[in-house]
Amino acid sequence: MRTIAIVFGLFLIAVAGFAADQNSTGAASKLTTMLAAKDEKGKPIITPEERAYFDGLNDNLKGLLNQAVQKEWITRPEHLAVLLSLGLRPQKMEVLLQNNCVLCHSDSGNQSAETLFTTTSTATTPASHMNLKEVVEDVHFRSGVSCAGCHGGDPTADLGHDFVKEWPEKDRQKNRAWVVQFCARCHSDPAIMHEFNPSLPTDQLAKFKDSPHGRTLMEKHDDRAPSCVSCHGVHGIRPAKDPQSKVYAQRVPETCGACHADPKIMAGFTRADGSPLPTTQLADYRASVHGQALLVRGDLGAPACNTCHGNHAASPPGVAQVSRSCSLCHSANASLFDGSKHKHAFDQHGWPECGQCHSNHAIVKTHDSMLATGPGQLCGDCHRQYATDNPECIKTADYFHETITRMEQARTGFITVSEKLAAKGLDVEPISNELTELGDTLKKSRTYVHSFSRSTFQQVALPGEQAVQRTDALVKKAREEYKYRQIGLAVSIGLIGLLMLAIYLKLRQLEKE
Amino acid sequence: MTPNLEAAEKTRGLRGWLDRRYQLTPLLEFLRHKEVPLGSHWMGWYYLGGITMFFFIVQVVTGVLLLMYYQPGEATAYESIRFLTTKVPFGWLIRSVHSWSAHLMIISLTLHMFSTMMLKAYRPPREVTWVSGYLLFLLTLGFGFSGYLLPWNKLAYFATTVGTNIVKSVPFLGNWLLQVLRGGQDVTINTLYRFFAAHVVILPLAFVGLIGLHLLLIQRQGMAPPLGAKTAPRGMKFFPSFALRDVLLWLACLMALAGLAVFLPYGPGIPGMDWELGEKADPLAPAYPGIKPEWYFLWEYQLLKEFPPHLFGLEGPEVCLLLIALLFGIWALIPWLDRRAYRDKPSPAFNDLGWAAILFLTFLTLAGWDIGARGAGSELSAMHNVARVCAWWTLAAGVVVILIRYWRFEDRWFILTGAVLLHVGLHGLAGVPYLLAGLIAVVVAAAAIAISCVAGPRGDSRDAP
Repeated sequence: MRTIAIVFGLFLIAVAGFAADQNSTGAASKLTTMLAAKDEKGKPIITPEERAYFDGLNDNLKGLLNQAVQKEWITRPEHLAVLLSLGLRPQKMEVLLQNNCVLCHSDSGNQSAETLFTTTSTATTPASHMNLKEVVEDVHFRSGVSCAGCHGGDPTADLGHDFVKEWPEKDRQKNRAWVVQFCARCHSDPAIMHEFNPSLPTDQLAKFKDSPHGRTLMEKHDDRAPSCVSCHGVHGIRPAKDPQSKVYAQRVPETCGACHADPKIMAGFTRADGSPLPTTQLADYRASVHGQALLVRGDLGAPACNTCHGNHAASPPGVAQVSRSCSLCHSANASLFDGSKHKHAFDQHGWPECGQCHSNHAIVKTHDSMLATGPGQLCGDCHRQYATDNPECIKTADYFHETITRMEQARTGFITVSEKLAAKGLDVEPISNELTELGDTLKKSRTYVHSFSRSTFQQVALPGEQAVQRTDALVKKAREEYKYRQIGLAVSIGLIGLLMLAIYLKLRQLEKE
Repeated sequence: MTPNLEAAEKTRGLRGWLDRRYQLTPLLEFLRHKEVPLGSHWMGWYYLGGITMFFFIVQVVTGVLLLMYYQPGEATAYESIRFLTTKVPFGWLIRSVHSWSAHLMIISLTLHMFSTMMLKAYRPPREVTWVSGYLLFLLTLGFGFSGYLLPWNKLAYFATTVGTNIVKSVPFLGNWLLQVLRGGQDVTINTLYRFFAAHVVILPLAFVGLIGLHLLLIQRQGMAPPLGAKTAPRGMKFFPSFALRDVLLWLACLMALAGLAVFLPYGPGIPGMDWELGEKADPLAPAYPGIKPEWYFLWEYQLLKEFPPHLFGLEGPEVCLLLIALLFGIWALIPWLDRRAYRDKPSPAFNDLGWAAILFLTFLTLAGWDIGARGAGSELSAMHNVARVCAWWTLAAGVVVILIRYWRFEDRWFILTGAVLLHVGLHGLAGVPYLLAGLIAVVVAAAAIAISCVAGPRGDSRDAP
């Protein structure tokens, strides 16, 4: 009897084990069936790339996929294909597979076109915020904030939509001022931000509220003004250092220009003096020396709109602040200008210091001819109009122009000569050293023009003028050396020739004999 | 007492003193009677060996002078050459002459080899002379390759990286050989040390030994008489007539070297023949595009490029290296392969082989230089342009060669030259891939040779190579 009981007990345990095994095998086989599924034409729904991605997943992720299939969050092979096609890194895939919202909203079988995350929509399609590829790249998603962070609810709990409580349903499309407050719930709270990114400032809302953008949006309730999402995007928000971010340095001009270069959007906005706000800034900037450096040469040190205007507190710099913006980078020029006679004169006229000669958005590469005093040229034109009582200034400008032009011409000439001498095999290293010194002096002299003082400029330019003289002497020496080589060669050839002649005559004599 | 010693006893002074000890008289007698055979061909070919030796002597002299300043090492190799060429009196001249002489030596050596080949001077009893000369040629290429890296500049560094990389494709031994050659996985300062050792010790020792053998054989056996003549009908006295002419030519070469060194101190400005020091080698810098080997390696470099990545179950470069080894092997064994010359009879097929080899190398070298690539839009169209332009040049040269041989030398055997021209034409003008065109040309040539063997009206069947 006891034996029968033991055998029966063992039998029960075996059946239970088999049943449990059957259960998990059932889910696995469901997933296997899905992976092998074919469409009506007999073509596999899961592509070989997607299959290879699946095979490369670790056991944990395969387990999560199994679980999703088991719980029927993934019911169709087409849905599985969409998720595998993302090719996500393990960490992101894990976040995705634990997010019921995204899992449900990426299944075309049970979502309408408005609520479906797809991989086909792009940044330019109307439903760009429904791009699944963007959603999984979002900085919030990656940090685990995901859907519930903004929409509310518990993404690991069962399905249902009655938890979307924090979302202003009414008029949310018409008046966007709430967006700023909504983002600020976390971004203005140092305690919350500390959990995710302690280095991120929390003063964005404070800055924004007092900026022209903020006042237009929050006080005048003008929806043409930007809110956070206008510049940062909605579901694909990336850190500013990410080249795909809309606020990455090289993309800032285009982001700002989306409104500021559009006359329709900008209609009615005015400057402080009441004149209409222009819409040419983006075009001007693109053609400018700064735009070329940032957008064409990819120099991330070059300024974009926000470098001078600020980010969340963006505002036009006033006349007095223009030079402060420029001096952030061009500090030497700015401090020289501040100590010059021009500072006082410009202030009297109410001119925007740097901007008066160099312009603002359309700033072009400076050229030595700006210093010339002839008609139609910068220094000359201005001084003839505003500084008629001081003819010395014209002479000083002429002196600057002549000195710099002379050094530049000498440098260009020496470079050509030096290349020719080098090709002849002569040692041009001392010449190159002098030319480096001359180049440095030229750079410095061009900066010191901003002192508008003859004596200050003279001190800086002097080493350059001396370098010109020394280079001249070195070039002469190198030419003499080359001449010496040629003479040496001629003498050697003459001597060898004589020896050859003697041998030839001897040979003839011998052969006659 | 032998008559020679008796004569030496009678001679007075230093000559007698030396003669009594070293028996110089027989040697002097030998030299006095030594003659250079004159034939129907141009006498000029005889001087090329001497000219090559002159350039070698210049290499030794200038090389020793360079060695007085050169310091191999990471922080010194480039700097010492820079110091030598800029600060040391006449340092620039020594380096320039060394470089010019190196290239001219390879040119004169190549001409010497081909003239020997065409005149069939390799036929018995001079087979060993041919093989020793052939080995000297290989050593000279080794000198060129090892010397190129020594200034440790950017160009040399990358060219050596590319050049040594080829060794990797040697079947079975590739990786080991690469390690041996580079002294590690990559080209580093260790590579420079072993290249330096090879350039100034190993290769010179081997070269001097071989050149000694080569010269001994030439002196012992005399220069080859013209084909078909057991003893030369006419001869020129080696001393003084030939020797003085040699000296005259050497002096002319010295003059040319001096002129070239002064007016073109860094070479003629052709890629692969340029030795401007430029920037120091930086192993961490990215390799820049358009790196070419020296001009005498261009044909191998181009041939490697013509091979697909995989062929006959092997890597493409492996097959290419096997082919190159086969070609070099055939070239070394020519004295034994050329059966008609062996019997002292004209062998037009081997004349044709020489010309075919020249045309084959010409096309590859021109293509390696990217002749005709300028102005092409894409890389692919540049490749087609290069193949077309180089094919036209090679075809033009081939036609001129055939005409001259037909009218001037009354040659009638053009199968191999024709095959090379067919190969080049199919590839460059009809766009057939290089290897397929080569295969077609080989098949056509084989068929032509077979037909000439069967139908051969002049009984030239044994000409077949």
